[in-house]
Parts: sequence; structure tokens; C-alpha cells
Amino acid sequence: MLINRQIFRRLFLSALPLLAVAENVVAQKDSISLSPVTVYGFVPEKFMSGLKIQKIDSVTLEQFRFRNIGDLLSLNTPVIFKNYGPGQLSTVAFRGTSSNHTAVLWNGLNINLPTLGQTDFSTIPVVGFDQLSVQYGSSASVVGTDAVGGSILLGSSKPQAGLQVMVGRQQESFRNSQTQATIKYGTRLNNNWNFSGKTAAYDGSMNNKYRHPERNGEAISPSTTLQKGLVQDLFFSNNKHELSAHVWLTDNKLTNNPENLAGRQMTRIKSYRTMFRYQFEGWTVRTSWIRDIIDYAVGDYSTLDHAVTDRYGIRGERTFEWKVEKSGSTIQMQTGGEFTHYKTQVENYERPVITENRSDFFLLTRWQTTPRLLISANLRQAFVTGYNAPFTPSLGAEYRITRNLPYTVKLRGSVGRSYRVPTLNERYWKDLGNPNIKPENGFNKELGAEGGYILNKIHSFTANLTAYHNRIDNWAYWNPANNFRVENLQLVTARGVEMQLGWKGNWEVWKFGSTLNYAFTKTSQEKIFDAYASDIVGKQLPHIPLHTGNVTTFMQYKSIRLTNQLQIISKRYTTADHSQSAPAYLLENLIVETNFNRPHFGALLQGRINNVSNTFYQTINGNPLPGRSFAISLLLSAKTIR
Amino acid sequence: MKKQLTRILTVTLISAIAWSCNQSDPAPKGTYVQGVFVINEGNFSQNNGNISFLAREKNIADSDIFSIVNGSSLKGGMQGYAVAGDHGLILVDNSSPGSDKVEIVDANMFTTTGSIGAPDIENPREVVAIGSNKAYVSNWGILNSDYSYPAGYVAVIDLATKKVVKKITTDKGPENLVLHNDKVFVGDYAYSGGKVLTVINTTTDAVTKSISFSAAPNPIGIDANGKLWVQAGLDLIRLNPDTYDIESTLKISTDMSKSAGNFAMSPDLRTIYFVLSYSDANYVSHGETYKFTITDTAVNLAAPFAKRLFSGLSVDPRQGLIYAGVTPSYTQSGYAIRYRADGTLVDSVKVGIAPTGFYFR
Repeated sequence: MLINRQIFRRLFLSALPLLAVAENVVAQKDSISLSPVTVYGFVPEKFMSGLKIQKIDSVTLEQFRFRNIGDLLSLNTPVIFKNYGPGQLSTVAFRGTSSNHTAVLWNGLNINLPTLGQTDFSTIPVVGFDQLSVQYGSSASVVGTDAVGGSILLGSSKPQAGLQVMVGRQQESFRNSQTQATIKYGTRLNNNWNFSGKTAAYDGSMNNKYRHPERNGEAISPSTTLQKGLVQDLFFSNNKHELSAHVWLTDNKLTNNPENLAGRQMTRIKSYRTMFRYQFEGWTVRTSWIRDIIDYAVGDYSTLDHAVTDRYGIRGERTFEWKVEKSGSTIQMQTGGEFTHYKTQVENYERPVITENRSDFFLLTRWQTTPRLLISANLRQAFVTGYNAPFTPSLGAEYRITRNLPYTVKLRGSVGRSYRVPTLNERYWKDLGNPNIKPENGFNKELGAEGGYILNKIHSFTANLTAYHNRIDNWAYWNPANNFRVENLQLVTARGVEMQLGWKGNWEVWKFGSTLNYAFTKTSQEKIFDAYASDIVGKQLPHIPLHTGNVTTFMQYKSIRLTNQLQIISKRYTTADHSQSAPAYLLENLIVETNFNRPHFGALLQGRINNVSNTFYQTINGNPLPGRSFAISLLLSAKTIR
Repeated sequence: MKKQLTRILTVTLISAIAWSCNQSDPAPKGTYVQGVFVINEGNFSQNNGNISFLAREKNIADSDIFSIVNGSSLKGGMQGYAVAGDHGLILVDNSSPGSDKVEIVDANMFTTTGSIGAPDIENPREVVAIGSNKAYVSNWGILNSDYSYPAGYVAVIDLATKKVVKKITTDKGPENLVLHNDKVFVGDYAYSGGKVLTVINTTTDAVTKSISFSAAPNPIGIDANGKLWVQAGLDLIRLNPDTYDIESTLKISTDMSKSAGNFAMSPDLRTIYFVLSYSDANYVSHGETYKFTITDTAVNLAAPFAKRLFSGLSVDPRQGLIYAGVTPSYTQSGYAIRYRADGTLVDSVKVGIAPTGFYFR
């Protein structure tokens, strides 16, 4: 790997003034203590100050335990999914960007399929991870490629000591079911070392046997999906060291038109994701290997269109902390690099085996200047074989207006550049791919405020308001005006407002709560590149609604909880010139849950009605989606008491 | 829905009034008795093709008339349209195998009267009316898993029962259909690998002759002298449709990077228009539209009819105007450009996505 010296210089030269400022401040205070710190957790969320991060709470994760992440996010965030049908391809549109503009990280590692540069969210069940955060807006300086519209952060948690076993099953309408089993264990190995781990397996089958295969006279496109997965996390730790291993194997087999033997279509995506991590006094070293296999066939399955991509990665980083004693101000810095070797074998690529190397160098800074003011400055430079990734800086700040009051108000703002390394398909696909594609160049600005108010012992409120402007030049896409060859013709500007309001009321045996999310998303192509572009320019991009919203309301009496989920999607244009559209719709789900808890045993029973009002709505390619359906699930757990 | 209902009611009411005022006239009544039907193929994966209707004297087309009349869309790519008697036959190609169909409508009102789907119809390509109660539809069948073409077939549709009464096996990738007396000439899609022109007797619905060519044969039409013109690669071949003897071969160009398509005959059957196109190193398509007369010994490539390429080309047999389809991209509306026979521009009308064909009534 030959590193472009000039770019390398630029990275560190730009870093210099920042370091100088930090040093000045420190110098003035005279006495400082420098100490390495170990930052646990996989994703440097702490360096994302100024950006909006929504952590999905454990109650919600529990409630969606038998569903996929797309369902969870579309009912709890303003993220839009472009869905091809139940159990079928589901891609994301985050803040008005394309499905290539959302980074999906598993324990800090980007798991987007490198050939497609995106994740099929139907292949990610909620049972596959322990923690979920949604980070809005560009964070490419922290996360790397793809983090243009936002990032979805999945993480493993270190289990507590003891043994816990969970077994669950969900039975749904249309002969669909999900089965899962999880064992968590933790023990002290000797005076110094602790060991803990988790093993989870899941198995789902969506047969989609509709009793009424038509809706409003239109056929629901038939499909079946079989999904299997295995998760293994192991942690060895003492007070200074932590060694962990993580494995996530997924196998998702989708068949469209299964009954039509000549026309059936099979898409099987298998991913093996593995990772070792070692942390010691501020140092973190991570190695990873991911293999993604995509098999595709129509009719006769004896010859598969087989694509394999391997990624071998190593990452090292060091975290420092300076405490400026008198002021109480602290500066944390994380610096490091990452190297990944890609090897891909795809039949339709210009060469049978294509390899490339990608590396990243980053410097992340978090400066708590005063108890009120927090500043983050981050720098990243990526290097990719045959491609010039842009230098990616960002600057963010958070300011707490109030402290020690029943209400809190925090202002935040961020500016940052973003980039996206083109997908392997975009660069290497025979004829249609474009090896000379230019890097996309994004610039994201946002401002927000968030607040909380605890009225009394019963009522508490939260609110969150964000406005953003994200301009992406040289937007690469499969140009429909030019035989779908990849080109960088577009300049897209996405801007919008997001609002979140929450209320919780806790009486003695009664609990109520409601969360409302609303997003206004205006995203359009702004550059004229051919004679007919005037029919498109300035118009909302297809498939992205101007207004989206969801409201989750619950009512709990002792251990019985009733939850209502509403989702509202406004009209979406299905063509770039707005000549065709899909109408707005409102979806409603109802969930009843009850749990039974004893010291050693527990049970959680959930009943759910999907699409209560039997709303007629459509997939991205115009096929109807199913009407009202039912699901019932039971999760049994047993654990040792320490 | 209410709007559609109002439209349907209005259409019905106007037709009813018109009918009651003029009961002595046996001419058919309906919004779509006369005019130009634009076949908008749509973006394949989105199943959003449709048919626009343009009254000849207007320069604004009604988009997706099937949805306007029937309240639901055709759900597929549009491959063809033809009228047989009072029946209109719409070829609908859905991206999902097993969902293709021939939608049958009242030719004058465009109200749906029936539908024929899989397994009788798979990848329908072209339709031709055989009298007022029968139609032929060429079908590729379901492609092999390696995307190669199996032997296709012509589906014989009986419009009285709205059923496929026979499937006539043809060469690979059957495409264009040309009717001449009691014969239909069935050509092959250029990239299908098929090289045989199949001749079907329309009385017996049986193959009577298979004629081999050096490239996929594309029957264009019967000229003023009663001769069949066939394009195969860059050759234009004049054929006696009764003896099947090749009478002459005319080379369009010797530049093998170019390909010819979208052939259309003038109303006097003496001039043939076509598009000659090529892709550059960046796979951008370029091309021009040419014309030649049936007595020419060469195509004059120095003087194009129009210095641009089109996704569809047809000549209105009533007025002689040339209708040319423009597809800016598969995610936005296309245009129908009208030219006079001397090449001067009449106007440009916005239509649906990817206009590839025109049907004149």
C-alpha cells in the first residue's frame, strides 16, 4: 500500500493547529495530568458530540425481539425503508439519502455488503445484537465510509456473572415463525480474570401462505424467507486488560415465486463476521474477517450466480486523556488507523478476482472545556486502491444551558464532511461499472436542541428538535438515462427537520407513556446534466416521503402492558419527474404483553396485531403488502442468582 | 377514487348522450375510437408501464388511460397494443415471472373485459390482429436460468372466449409479427440467438415454413409492390412473401459497431424509416434516424432524417406524420415527437416512461 505522502502530510498538518490550541489552553493552566484511559464500548459515540444520537432502550429492543431491525427502526425513528415485501429486500433511506449512504456498524465494524455498499435490513433480526443506537447525519470523520445520511450502530454487551438461559418462539399469521435461544454466562476465573459470554441462535421461516393472496384485486407477490443465525461473544477481562471475540453468522434465503419452478428466483446471502479485540491501558487492537456470499439463481438452481467477498481487517487505536486540574476541563483524544484487505470474486466483474486495500487514519478529539461546553473535532483520511478518498474533518459542539434544575436544555451543532467509497459493483461491474468514478463529496451541517423536564414524581417530558442541511456533490448512481451505467452526475441536497417528543407518567400501579417522532425531509437533485433534466431538477427524490411520523403509546397496569404503534408515511413519488406516485398511508399495530417474574424464572408473553386497520399499502415496486395479521410470542428465561 | 368515478360517469354520460342523439349512426362510440395510443414501456423493475392516448389534433396526451378508466394500473411493462374488432389487447410484462398477461379491453371505451395470464402468456412481445376475433401474441417464454432464450411460441387468442386456444412453437425469442393475407411472419429478438423467420398459416394456425438467416430476422412489413422487407443485422432483405425467394439485399452500413432498429413504413408503403445507433466507450448510446425508399440501392447515411435516436418510431397511416419516442431516462416521462415526412418538426408531447411504440386508430 503506497500512501500518498501529500495527503498524509495534509492530514497531520491540519491536525497541528488543533493540537496547538489544545496545548495552549493546557499550558495556561500550568498543571496537567496525562493518563491513558480505556474507552469501553465499540463505537466512539463519545466523539460524536454535536450530532444527534438516539439510543434505543432495552424495553423497545425486548418488544421487537422476534422482528427485524427494519420494523423496529421504522416504528421508532424517522428512517425510511424501501421495502420489496415481507421478508424481502429492505433498504434504507436516511435523511433523504440513498441506501448507500447509511453505515451499519457491528461492534464498530462496517458490515454493509461491500459489493452493494448497503445492508439488506430484512437480514438483520433484533435478536442478533444487544445494543442499538441510531446516529443521525454525517459522521464519516468518526465512522468512515458510508456515514453520509446517518449510521446504525449495533453492539454486543458484556454479560453479567451467573448463568442465564432464554428460549423463545413467535408464531405468526401466514405460517410464519421465529425460534431463538440465548445462553449468557459469566464467572470469575481466578483472583484477577473474569470470563463471560453469550451464545445465541435463531431460526425463522416466513412461508407467507396468505389466505387471501390478493388485496384490492391485486396479487401479493409470493415469497418465502428462511433465516438462520448464530451469535457468539466471549469476554476475558481483568482490571487492565480485556480480550474479546465476537462471531455473527447469518444465512438468509429468499425465494420469490417459489411455486413457479421455471420463474422462481432465489437470493441467498450468507455472512460470516468475526472479530477479536484486545484492550489494554488505552490501547485497542482489533482484527476482523468478514466473508459475504451472495448466491442468486432463477428457475434452475443447479448453477448459481455466486459472489464471494472477503474482508480482512486490522485496527489499532490509542486513547489519551488530559485532565486540566484547576478548570476541571478534560481532553480526550483517540488516534489510530485501520487497514482492510478486500478480495472479491463476482462473475460479472471485469476480472475474476479483484483485490484492493483500504486504510484509514483518524484523530478524534473530545474536549470538555467547561461543565457546560463540549467540543469534538475529528479528522480522517482514507486511502483506497485506485481511488482518492477525500480528507474528512468534522467539528461539533454541545452546550448545556441549564444545570441542576428540574429541566435540562442542551444545544448542539455540527459541521462535517462526508464521503463514500464507491461500492465494488460500481467500480468493477463489467461494462456498467465505472472504474474512474469520482469520490462523492458531502458536507453536512446541523443544529439541534434537546431538553428534558421532570414536572413531578409522576410526569416527565423529553423533546428533541434538529434541523440539517446535507449537500452531496458527485453523487454516484446507476444512471437511468445512460443504460444504468454508474456516473457521478448528480448534486443532491437533503434538508429537513426532525422532532421527537416524549412523555412518561408513572403512577403506582399504572404507567403511561408516549413518544412521537416527526420528520420533514426535502431532498432533491440540483444539477442539470442533460436536456431533459429540467423535468427532474429540484423535485423530491423518488420513494422518499416529505413527511414521516410515528407515535408509540403505552399503558401499563402492574405487569400488563398495552402498546399502540402508529406509522404515517406521506405520498411518495415513484418516478423522478413526479409523474407517478404511491399514496400516503397510516399503519397501526397493537401489542399486549405480560410478564411473569420469579427469582429463578421468568416468562414474557406477547400478542400482536399488525396493520390493525387493514390498510392497503404497497411495496416499492407497487405490489400490495399484506393486510391485518397476528403474532404471538413466548419467551422463557431461567437464571442463577448470585 | 371519487375523481375516477366522476370521470367514468362523465365518460359514460357523454357517451350515452351522444348515443341517444345519434342513434342512426352505426359508428362506434367511446373516448378512444380514434387517436394515437402510445405504448410506454416503463421502468422494468417498477412495473409502471402504461398507455397514453393522444387525439391527433391535440398536443397534450392523456396519461395512463387504463387507470383513468378502470381505476387500477396494468402492473407491468407495456410491450404492445393492437385492436381486433372491438377488442383492444394490451401486452403486460411484469418483472415477476408468472405475472405477465394480455389484458383485453373494450377498444373504444378502454374498460377491461378480461385477462389472460400465465402459463399461457410468458414474456409477451408483440401482438397482431387476425380478423376481428383472433389475435397472435409472440412470447419468449421464461428465460433459462443463464438468461439464454428457450424456443418461444405464438399464442393464438380466441377473442370470443378470451382464451389461448393454441401455442405455436417458434424459434428462440420470437418478436415482430407481420400479417400478409393468410400468413404471419414471426421474427426473432436481436439478442435471442434465434435466426429463423417462422411463417404461420392463419387459417390452420400451423407453421408452414422456417426461413434461416445469418442474423436474427426482423420482419418490417409488406411494401407497395407486395414484397416483404426483413432486417437481419445490418442487411435489409427484400423477400417474395409467396415463394420466399430473396430478391435483393441492401447493406445499411459496414460498421459492425452499429445496430439498426425501430423500423417503420410510410402509409404509401414506399419509404422505410429506422434508427441506426451505437454505444461509445462509456456505453452512452448515440445514433441517427434514416429513411430509404423501396427502390433505393443503398441507404444514404450522409443525410439522416433526424440527427438523433429514438426509442420508438411509427408512421401514422392516416396523416403520414412520423411519431418518434424519446426516453430521457427510465425514471422520468418520455416524449413523443411528431415530424412531417419532409423531416420538419411538428411538436413534442409529453407521454409516459420509455415510449417504444405507437398504435394508430
